[in-house]
Amino acid sequence: MQRRTFLKCVGCGAAAMAVTNTNLLPAFLGGVQNACAFGPAKELSSKEARFYKKLEGGGIECGVCPRHCRVTDFERGYCGTRENHSDTYVTLVYGLPCALNIDPIEKKPLFHFYPGTDAFSLATAGCNVNCKFCQNWEISQSRPEQTDNYSLSPREAIDLCKQKQVPNLAYTYSEPTIFYEYMYDISELGRKEGLRSVMITGGYIEEQPLKELMPQLAAIKVDLKSIRDDYYTNVVGGELKPVLDRLVQMRRAGMWLELVNLVVPTLNDTDAEFRDMARWIKTNLGADVPLHFSQFHPDYLLKNLPITPQKTLETAHAICKSEGLDYVYLGNLPGHPAESTYCPKCGKILIERQGFRINQNNLKGNRCPSCNREIPGRF
Amino acid sequence: MSRVVVVKYNATDSGRSEEVYRRLLISGLCLLTDEMSHKDALRTLLPSGAVGMKTSCIARKRNSTPVPLVEALSKLLIESGFHDNDIVVWERTNRELASAGYQLNASSFGRRCLGTDTNGVGYSHDFYQSEVVGSLVSRIMTEIVNSNINMPVLKDHSIAGLSGSMKNMYGAINNPNKCHPNNCDPYCAHVSNLEPIRTRNKLIVMDAFEIQYQGGPGYVPQYVYPYGAVILAVDPVAIDRVGLEIVERIRAMKGIKSLEQDGRPVRYIASAEKIGLGVGDLKKIDLKVIRVDRDGGESAGELF
Repeated sequence: MQRRTFLKCVGCGAAAMAVTNTNLLPAFLGGVQNACAFGPAKELSSKEARFYKKLEGGGIECGVCPRHCRVTDFERGYCGTRENHSDTYVTLVYGLPCALNIDPIEKKPLFHFYPGTDAFSLATAGCNVNCKFCQNWEISQSRPEQTDNYSLSPREAIDLCKQKQVPNLAYTYSEPTIFYEYMYDISELGRKEGLRSVMITGGYIEEQPLKELMPQLAAIKVDLKSIRDDYYTNVVGGELKPVLDRLVQMRRAGMWLELVNLVVPTLNDTDAEFRDMARWIKTNLGADVPLHFSQFHPDYLLKNLPITPQKTLETAHAICKSEGLDYVYLGNLPGHPAESTYCPKCGKILIERQGFRINQNNLKGNRCPSCNREIPGRF
Repeated sequence: MSRVVVVKYNATDSGRSEEVYRRLLISGLCLLTDEMSHKDALRTLLPSGAVGMKTSCIARKRNSTPVPLVEALSKLLIESGFHDNDIVVWERTNRELASAGYQLNASSFGRRCLGTDTNGVGYSHDFYQSEVVGSLVSRIMTEIVNSNINMPVLKDHSIAGLSGSMKNMYGAINNPNKCHPNNCDPYCAHVSNLEPIRTRNKLIVMDAFEIQYQGGPGYVPQYVYPYGAVILAVDPVAIDRVGLEIVERIRAMKGIKSLEQDGRPVRYIASAEKIGLGVGDLKKIDLKVIRVDRDGGESAGELF
């Protein structure tokens, strides 16, 4: 991984990483590097992947995401991280994160999930879509041999998390569906040892892998990139319907769920789209699912478009509130009132935020201190 | 008008030797450029400095750019004035090169042979974009060589339909896995249109000795046709269009569906023509077919 990639992954998080070559470790982990075998990886993994089937006449079909890539010998799926080795499908990224950091949970963003706590965040190279606006394209659109990776087993990840006294693990930055096996094993081990796992995903995953994964997770944040099919086809490189189906599946399973929509000028920023999205969420998921609108910044394949105007985001917020969604937030606008949580019943400010910082948390358990209304989430 | 030269080996033996390839290349280079000698032809086509030879080695020995072809062309380059260490045989990974029978050499002595994954090589810092494709390009292409010879193998491809000149450039970018939807259309066209690829590719030498007309890109012996030719061009679209014609005619002879009927239409040729990358209309291609004997004698030929 290049230095710029790390800097991008760090973003405006608190923990600085001074990584310019593979012999160094993230600064925030510097004090523990001798505690385990954690260090730069020398080769890719060849652990057998889950959810694939062998095809008659040779080749395999991957079943972890809706793409169902058919892959011949020594070829890879669309994600670039799974490879056919003589009709055994292997994951090349198991135990090989290319980005590690400790972030505020608000950065994911998860606003109704243990506010003010941190998340040990990790990602491997690769992604199963190709969003033209991707801010992390240097890792998400790379193959694992093109990034500098660490060797970090699930056991080591859990130990590091405990040593740093971080209560949450976040699979984030790229698309965790493509490192499913690694995510699953860390989550399972972490759950047994009292650590919570959150998946930060585009939701482009098949039903069965998600079903098996959810018992290991404490929350999921999904990027609902649009409510329009053609946007998924032309801008994301995926499909909308499987994402909507998985959202319903998550909600029915009782998973704590928050949504993010990145508002890209001219591509998904009409009033009708905001309204349709709000209506779909209210009808299919419920009014109490938090929805975050975030501001687009030109990057990757969309350098020609401007930053999303604040007014557009405020319009989106107003429309979704008028449609009856209880918790609508605006992101990438530090200090904006819509970063904070208000009681939908009495209007009292419950959690006041500024950027990723919590200025005040007035919740009494999970209730409004003024009107006693129950506030959904995990607190 | 874009010229495409098909040089067929006019003998009954398998012919895949360095000596035979040398004869075919000399005839083909002269006919492609209207020069009297291969030395003049190569000097006309290639600027001085380091020259790359981008192989296609994903399918290991039986369906990769043949080592004897690369050896023959390397010697012609040296005869034309190129220093041996300025010749860079390359592919995406060292593993692929080695599995196809190439001897790796990243040193300062002798002809180089290396994958983009060689320590210190990797991909460009600059990001290149052509409409739907945004990629980093191998530093071999952007920094190490001054020009490149694209050396694909003509074959069927399970997703793209046809693997030839444009498809071989997937091995020059960091994210080929993102470029396979919709039968690689228009991705194939736009990968070849990325600035360093479009400007540094100066010659295409496509192996068509044994054509995998079905079941590609891997080697499936029951679907191999002994065509016995190398194909040369400068235009990546025109050579793929001729390659498509050859593969489709073999498929028809063998009584199997056309690529379009098989759900793998090769639309990326039209997309490439549309963005001005070359000529995709067979009627507008200056197609030359010659037959070359074991002793180098030439005669006019037909595709079949």
